[in-house]
Amino acid sequence: MQTPTQFYRRTQFKAPAVIHKGLDGLVNRWIGYYQRRDAIVKTWWGKVEQVEALASECKDLGERALRERLSGFLDTYRRGGRNLDNALIPALAAIREASDRHLGMRPFQVQILSAIALHNGYLTEMATGEGKTLTAGLVAVLGGWTRHPCHIVTVNDYLVHRDATWLQALYEFCGIRVGYVTGPMKPEERRQGYNADITYTTSKELLADFLRDGISVGEMREPSRRLVKQMLRPQLTAQEGLVMRGLHTVIVDEADSVLIDEAVTPLIISTQKENQSLNEVVGIAHTICDPLVPHVDYEVNARYREVELTKEGRKKIEDRCSALPGIWRGTSRRTELIKQALNAREFFLKGKQYVIVDDKVVIVDEFTGRPMPQRTWRQGMHQAIEAKELLPISPPSETIARMSFQRFFRLFHKVCGMTGTASEATEEFWQIYGMPVVRIPTNKPCVRKQMPDRVFPDEDSKWVAIADEIERVHRAGRPVLVGTRSVAASEKLAALLEGRTLHFQLLNALRHVEEASIISVAGETAHITIATNMAGRGTDIKLGKGIAERGGLHVIATERHESGRVDRQLFGRSARQGDPGSSQAFVSAADELLKRFLPAALQSRLAAAVRQNLPGKELLARIAFRIAQSNAQRIAFKQRQAVQRADTWLEEALSFAGGGNN
Amino acid sequence: MSEAPPTFSESWHRIANQRISLRQGVHARRQSFRGQRWIVLENPLSNQFYRIRPEAYEFVARLQPAKTVEEVWKECLARFPDTAPGQESVIQLLSQLYFANLLQYDQATDSAQLFKRYKKTRQRDLKAKFLNVMFMRFPLLDPDEWLVKTMPWVGKLISPAGAILWMIVVGLGLRVVMEQFSELKDQSQSVLAPGNLFLLYAGLIMVKSLHEFGHAYFCRKFGGEVHVMGVMLMIFTPIPYMDATSSWGFRSRWKRVLVGAAGMIVELFVAAIAAMVWANTAPGNLHNLAYNIMFVASVSTIVFNVNPLLRYDGYYILSDFLEIPNLAQQANKQLRFWVERYAFGLRRAESPVQGAREKLWLTTFGITSGLYRVVVFSGILLFVADSLLLIGIIMALACAISWIAVPLVKFVKYLTTDPKLERQRSRAIGVTSLVAASLVILLQLVPFPNHFRAQGVLEAKQWNQVVNETPGSVETLLASPGAAVKAGQELLRLRNPALELELASARASIDETQARLRQAMQEASANVRPLASRLEAVSKRLAHLEKDQKELIIRARQDGVWISPQIKDYVGRWLTRGSSLGLLVDPSSFEFNATIVQEDADRLFSSTLAKTEVRLFGQAQTALGIHNYKVIPGEQRLLPSAALGWGGGGEIPVASDDPQGRKTVEPFFRVRAEVKSSENISMMHGRAGKIRFTLPDEPLLPRWIRSLRQLLQKRYQL
Repeated sequence: MQTPTQFYRRTQFKAPAVIHKGLDGLVNRWIGYYQRRDAIVKTWWGKVEQVEALASECKDLGERALRERLSGFLDTYRRGGRNLDNALIPALAAIREASDRHLGMRPFQVQILSAIALHNGYLTEMATGEGKTLTAGLVAVLGGWTRHPCHIVTVNDYLVHRDATWLQALYEFCGIRVGYVTGPMKPEERRQGYNADITYTTSKELLADFLRDGISVGEMREPSRRLVKQMLRPQLTAQEGLVMRGLHTVIVDEADSVLIDEAVTPLIISTQKENQSLNEVVGIAHTICDPLVPHVDYEVNARYREVELTKEGRKKIEDRCSALPGIWRGTSRRTELIKQALNAREFFLKGKQYVIVDDKVVIVDEFTGRPMPQRTWRQGMHQAIEAKELLPISPPSETIARMSFQRFFRLFHKVCGMTGTASEATEEFWQIYGMPVVRIPTNKPCVRKQMPDRVFPDEDSKWVAIADEIERVHRAGRPVLVGTRSVAASEKLAALLEGRTLHFQLLNALRHVEEASIISVAGETAHITIATNMAGRGTDIKLGKGIAERGGLHVIATERHESGRVDRQLFGRSARQGDPGSSQAFVSAADELLKRFLPAALQSRLAAAVRQNLPGKELLARIAFRIAQSNAQRIAFKQRQAVQRADTWLEEALSFAGGGNN
Repeated sequence: MSEAPPTFSESWHRIANQRISLRQGVHARRQSFRGQRWIVLENPLSNQFYRIRPEAYEFVARLQPAKTVEEVWKECLARFPDTAPGQESVIQLLSQLYFANLLQYDQATDSAQLFKRYKKTRQRDLKAKFLNVMFMRFPLLDPDEWLVKTMPWVGKLISPAGAILWMIVVGLGLRVVMEQFSELKDQSQSVLAPGNLFLLYAGLIMVKSLHEFGHAYFCRKFGGEVHVMGVMLMIFTPIPYMDATSSWGFRSRWKRVLVGAAGMIVELFVAAIAAMVWANTAPGNLHNLAYNIMFVASVSTIVFNVNPLLRYDGYYILSDFLEIPNLAQQANKQLRFWVERYAFGLRRAESPVQGAREKLWLTTFGITSGLYRVVVFSGILLFVADSLLLIGIIMALACAISWIAVPLVKFVKYLTTDPKLERQRSRAIGVTSLVAASLVILLQLVPFPNHFRAQGVLEAKQWNQVVNETPGSVETLLASPGAAVKAGQELLRLRNPALELELASARASIDETQARLRQAMQEASANVRPLASRLEAVSKRLAHLEKDQKELIIRARQDGVWISPQIKDYVGRWLTRGSSLGLLVDPSSFEFNATIVQEDADRLFSSTLAKTEVRLFGQAQTALGIHNYKVIPGEQRLLPSAALGWGGGGEIPVASDDPQGRKTVEPFFRVRAEVKSSENISMMHGRAGKIRFTLPDEPLLPRWIRSLRQLLQKRYQL
């Protein structure tokens, strides 16, 4: 039996905060600087010391006394109110002790520090391998005690399951029920997962369940009205079958990936609907485009991923369309379809943006390099690509509900998060989510040797040098992890190494099934692992015996990513938790990143400098890549802002169509 | 060709299953603008309008609660495959209709969203009010009912018969004005006199009220509703206003034009009647009031209302006439288009209109109205600041913020962040900085010719007044005026009969005294001495008289030209001693006696002059060179010639209490410059002209700042 309050809270969400513009934005920015001030970390250190001071007292408590103390906090937190601030320090001390006894892990001081920051709604930047899971657990206990829904979002189903079961003992001892939700679960299991005090899940499952709940609630979403309706006719709302309890607190692991990189890709709940006419049209558009030649019939703008038809191209199309029916007669629809087909040809490349599995186009995620079989491109584009690949054309999906992660996470009353790489996006975290970023020092100093980038005039010489370097490290008996940006690149390198009869493991969107087994041995003696960005974030490569003495894992990046954070994630695979390790990036003056995001004048100057092997070329390249990355990030941020603005506008403009959050 | 919004939208699902339709009572009217068909949707409840294209209307009109949006859209797509709006356009369209309160939907709206919108609108209105302080509006009441009630009587006037009546009255009024134009002009000088201000304002209120009712009645007559009437603070002067925007929905543009012109039609009618009253009454309050009404009704009509460059009636008339709604915004858009397209190289920039003629109209309008506004408003500012300094400063600040600071900030923001410019940002910033830099260089660094002029008169370096020492009547001219004469040459002869008599009597007296002296020497020697002294006295007197007589012939005292234009008329006239008989001017050397006003004095003293030249009125084509010049140190207040003062047609303000018109209001400096004579120019003493001082070249900006500071200093002692 649920209380009216619980019923009410199921559909009561925070209105997303206004994103300030103009002068307000400037003031808001200053507030952000203030929130991130160094002094705040100092005051937290003070609290950490107070927690430390309570350590011996807690140690002396008997098992039963500790349990009683913890359940006392449960009551305090549940009641809420003002004394929560005073309760924080003794509560953390008690949880720490419980963790020591029941998990066998005693949280370090930096983890306590991070927990305090998280509790205050901050985003903490913790170096990879610093025990983010346990930190999240400490905060989750505090959140769980309030009995408000508390969600912990991690990267994938495996981690969801692992973390929930790993920390279960701690939670149980603290009087908290823990649940988790993973992809394959049935609604009933999901409901159980969400009914627990704290729920581990992935962002995709969370948003999908939220949207599905939204669909089943239907139009009457406003909580007060719904409550009245429920009181008048309980049988109507009983059938809704919601799985979630509502949104309150969320702790986001790998926050930059979830809240920024994937933020604007909306999650879509859709059904497939046969649409014969669309299929035909897409096929015709492909045949019309077939003979068009780049630079003659159309111009390609790489930076903005657009094609522009030339006069000649328009004429050709005109000639070919005159014999076609209806929709092909007018210019506007026709141009749209043909441009779409050209986009499919120029910007969606096999092995890069997608792979073909069982005659189906499967999207490869740009940041993680993982195949995303559920995902489709927006209406028509997916079909256009299928037409291009001469595959059977799948029925277009029809959207039922849709929301971007960006908007979704703004509906929570309290958001906090952790990641290894946040500093590049500090401003964005603050502007969009109101989360100030603080950096948490490492427990042990990091001993990774970051070697300077090596620069080459063109792709071929770069690949040869990479292969040489792999061989060299391999001969030294150290394991090597080579990161590539695309499936195609990983295959290319694989061919190159095969030519040298080196033994290696290949991990990409086409061979992702063996992921766990490949990663488990990647740290062994002289292992070579080639991986796309898949082996970035969240991958924990354990070093084999005696590897640490030889210098640990060596990571090679074969290209720089548009976001420096993704690079840092890849480098972060080595030298974890105080282990030794080294990393290096290989770049060339012909890299796509430069072509797209560096002003043409600088491009040619850099290329010339590298070709002539001028002494300052490394520095020049570093600057060039820095500029290109910051340009890329700026454009990406602009796009995310535009999406967010469009979202807000749509919300306002279509509020007649039911005040929904999707 | 612009890119159409995409056919499919990712947000389509939000409205696909909605059942919505146009609100009941929404009227749709067809209008044509510049040959393009449009449908105007009108919400009679809120008096809001929304204009859509017929293709969009085809879709909107099909919306009904029995069908979902998706069904209607598919139906449209099947019927009009190419023109039917795409999903994205439909979403845009519906949201705009929703914002215009034209939609009816079965769902309960998100009331929080509605409330937020309401608050936003309120805030925007308030902001607009503050940014538009010179034309604040306060709506007060709803006159519609009253208009409808009185329409049976007033409405009769809005007819062909009314038009004929109007023409007769205005014609008669015009006749009166023409007949009594000079009196009319005389009285106009006192319109802004303090004593008249109250009458002027009374006239203004009356005329403007009638003006507004004119709009209202015309609008009501053609079927538009008029619901708002109130007070507008035009430059802090309360004036009535009325909202006749419902004329917007009229199908015929001529009706719209007529509603726009109604105010002026009424005003001219009133002005004509007032002119007749004025002409037929004796001076008094009624007479004066009539005059003021006439003045307001005609002057304001010409300066403000007819003028399309300000946002008054003329603007709306022009807008309706050209069939370009929102003329000003469109003009701004057009200017923006030119800049974006050609300066920033934005290939996607879109002109708001298609035809070349419209583009021309918009461009011309945009530029002229911009300039005009600046001129008019700086005029108003100076005017207000003259009387109310504090308010003037506040207004100037407000203007500076709303016209300089805000647009500048907006422009910078547009340059740096507008997504439209994303691809051309470097070029846009480059072009802008280039323009800004060249402007700065041009104004601050590039020296421009720098000169100023001063009025003055040409004077001979040596000249003499010709004066008679002895009174007398002119007998004959011995030399012709205008001719060159030598020193000592006789100019004219006077005759003084009394002098002659006196002379005769003096001579007689000498003869007598000599006779008596001779007699006394023989008969009574005791009398010799007195008689001798008498003789001496009489001889002296005689000498005096003889000298006087000699001076009846007036001679030139120096070589020169005798200038005396009226001397011929003097023949036979009696001249008292010391009368001016013209000038003797030495034509060989002239100097220019210039008066330098204070503002220019600084430049005169501070820099060395590069070149100086004089141009005389009437022969301005030839410049006279200058040998050297001398500034007379010390201020002066007496003009060298009355011709330089206001009274004599010159530029320098003179005190009104000086009958000669030579005493100036402000002190000035004097410069005497020796003029090189020229063959082409007849150098004449007393000829007015201008001296031009060419200073070393100097950039413009420092010069402007200096004159602005001088202006402030002079006017407000700042």
